Amino acid sequence: MSSRDFVYSKFAEFYNNPSSFIPAPTSFEHREFAYLMFKERFMVRHKRFESIQVFQSVLTRNVPSDVYHSCAYYEQPDLEMDKKGWIGSDLVFDIDADHIPTKCGKIHDEWLCQKCEFNGKGITPEQCPLCGGDRFSVKTWLCDLCLESTRVETAKLIDMLTKDFGFATNEMHVFFSGHRGYHVHVEDEAVRSLDALSRKEIVDYVTGLGLSVLNKTSKEKFGKGRKRVATAKKFKLHNYGWNRRLKIGMTKLLSTATVEDLKNLELRNNNLFKNKTVILRRAIEEGRWDSIPGVSVATWLKLAEQVKNLESANIDTVVTTDIHRLIRMNGTLHGKTGLLKMEFPAHQLDDFDPLTQAIAFKKGTTKVFVSNTPEFRLGGATWGPYKNVNVVLPTAAAVMLILKGRAEVAN
Amino acid sequence: MSIDSTGFTKGELAKYPFLKETARYLSPLDLQIEDLVSPDMHQILDRAMERVTLAITDLTIRPLSSEQGKYFLKDLQKEILSFPVAIMLVSATGNSFIKKRYALAEAKQATCLLALESKMLILKVALDFSWKIALTSSDDVFDFILYFSDFLQNASHLHDAKWKLVNSTLSEGNVYLNKRNVVRLLQEEIKRRIERRFSNVSIDRYPSEISVLAEKLKTLAAERIEQAETDFPKIVVQEAFPPCINALYDGASKNHHLSHMGRFALTTFLVNIGMSVDSVTELFVSFSDYNERLTRYQVEHIAGERGSGTKYACPQCSILQTHNVCKNRDDLCKYIYHPLRYYQNKSKTALQDQLKNSKNTQ
Repeated sequence: MSSRDFVYSKFAEFYNNPSSFIPAPTSFEHREFAYLMFKERFMVRHKRFESIQVFQSVLTRNVPSDVYHSCAYYEQPDLEMDKKGWIGSDLVFDIDADHIPTKCGKIHDEWLCQKCEFNGKGITPEQCPLCGGDRFSVKTWLCDLCLESTRVETAKLIDMLTKDFGFATNEMHVFFSGHRGYHVHVEDEAVRSLDALSRKEIVDYVTGLGLSVLNKTSKEKFGKGRKRVATAKKFKLHNYGWNRRLKIGMTKLLSTATVEDLKNLELRNNNLFKNKTVILRRAIEEGRWDSIPGVSVATWLKLAEQVKNLESANIDTVVTTDIHRLIRMNGTLHGKTGLLKMEFPAHQLDDFDPLTQAIAFKKGTTKVFVSNTPEFRLGGATWGPYKNVNVVLPTAAAVMLILKGRAEVAN
Repeated sequence: MSIDSTGFTKGELAKYPFLKETARYLSPLDLQIEDLVSPDMHQILDRAMERVTLAITDLTIRPLSSEQGKYFLKDLQKEILSFPVAIMLVSATGNSFIKKRYALAEAKQATCLLALESKMLILKVALDFSWKIALTSSDDVFDFILYFSDFLQNASHLHDAKWKLVNSTLSEGNVYLNKRNVVRLLQEEIKRRIERRFSNVSIDRYPSEISVLAEKLKTLAAERIEQAETDFPKIVVQEAFPPCINALYDGASKNHHLSHMGRFALTTFLVNIGMSVDSVTELFVSFSDYNERLTRYQVEHIAGERGSGTKYACPQCSILQTHNVCKNRDDLCKYIYHPLRYYQNKSKTALQDQLKNSKNTQ
């Protein structure tokens, strides 16, 4: 049996199993559905189904590698794009290790230049160091540090959505994406009709883009004939929105950071460390920003910039602004891992462990030939590292290694 | 305290005739299109014509002036009635410039008046638009709290940095605002409601008198448009590309991988400055190993020659910033919010320079 056939048979088993529960998204009849055919590798799109039962029977028959539905609601989801009749769309956030710097430095990812076949490990370079080419094939991997980094970003996002945007935790749906990150969906009536431009503003809020309190000059005047006038800027923060976040972030940073930590953030003004108790009380609590000896506006701006970087959440900007986006369906398999996209309560973000709880294939073992893999954790046990060996692994681990291009079924 | 949006006085309806209550006030009169040309309506028709004319020429509609704060009931009725009639007149022109301009003039006029009103009246007008809005307690430094989605629907179209959500006073779903800011946001909402009303007018044939007036308005508008006409140069001036587009162009020519947003920005930019589908396709294909058939299909789609037939607009600067496509900002970028405006601006000076140089070398 080829490795591909083996994985296909496991996916088929999953979709044929009556106990595989796939929850129906809300407003089911207004959603567009799509799936990627496992063997043929093409995307079936613009589908509408009467019920989740009908859709499940389609999945059973076709066994796709990946299943999606639209974040949008349409009058007629099965028509072509401009005839669908857009009604609204959920507000969706995607946090993926692909887009963010992670603590592991992606040392487990392997890239190969498509032009000269030069290869390396870690973050894929913009250009091949050997031939200058910029197209690579990449074998990714997911480790605990990748997942931890995305979890931290997700926690910051959820904090903003609750405290700043006022959503209750039960109004937010939080999911493990099935690969290297998390999805957050907000289905509230009030956000459904927001256009792409309004969603862009939400993205800029979450990422802290365009914060004018960080401008080095005060308000610039411009226009025909008038030159830019830069007046001396005063630094101050109020108690709402990002201003409040900066204050909390400054307090957090200054109360815990060592001199070294501050230096690593390019904050070399010693007064920040020496006077931190005065800063916390006089400046942050009482708002007397100009009363700290040796701390100028320039230093405040540097500190605020660093705090913004620490407190903003790193999301995939394109996903949130696209009001026609397809998103992986809850309860279906991820074609790169064989893990489930899975919902869990927002307040359990710290405790949810994707590598034990999002496993679909819980039974059986398979003998595989592993070409190369780092040590990894799955289903409560640790495996590897392996290099060019035959090993008997639990089905979930075997499926993941094959889908990641690191193993083949051993004959 | 529950406050509803009903109960406007006639004087208020005369000032803010776009309110829903105006329709309730007018419906017993059962106004028909044919009535407009009857002799006893000519005063209303005149005032309607004045509204639209002033909107085109001066971007105002000049509100009813009062004598010592008192209006005559007859004048109020005329004023209120002239608004739906003006809507019909504008619809009869079928001209999108006039529609936009009239909606903007009405909205600007209304906000000038609203700025002088009490917080309570402003609240009532906002509730007429179904905003989730409330007054703050009297000791608060802000006047209103407004739900963020209502804030965004209106503020996202404003370019000043102070309107960005990231710079707002957001807390627990609400944005804290003073009276002046709420009035400015209402201007956007009023403008949109009036623009929507034009698409709701469904009249197949207008009486000939109305058509004559509509023609007059169109002539007037044509003069205005001619004055404001600022077209792109007939040839492509590559020196005038904004830095973001240059970076993308450069990337494409070196066969570098462009992000989806990057490719979209480059293509829409080139199509919008007047490059033909053939030239854009050729460009992409000559640069790289792009599949010609697929590239042509996508470019045609963006140029509106396929699918829905709408030509895609080039994304504005703030969108390119969000998706990290904005690169190497220069001095001109600081004063501009759209790549096409940059091009328009710079191509003028670039062409003048070229002209000068060629004269010098002759």
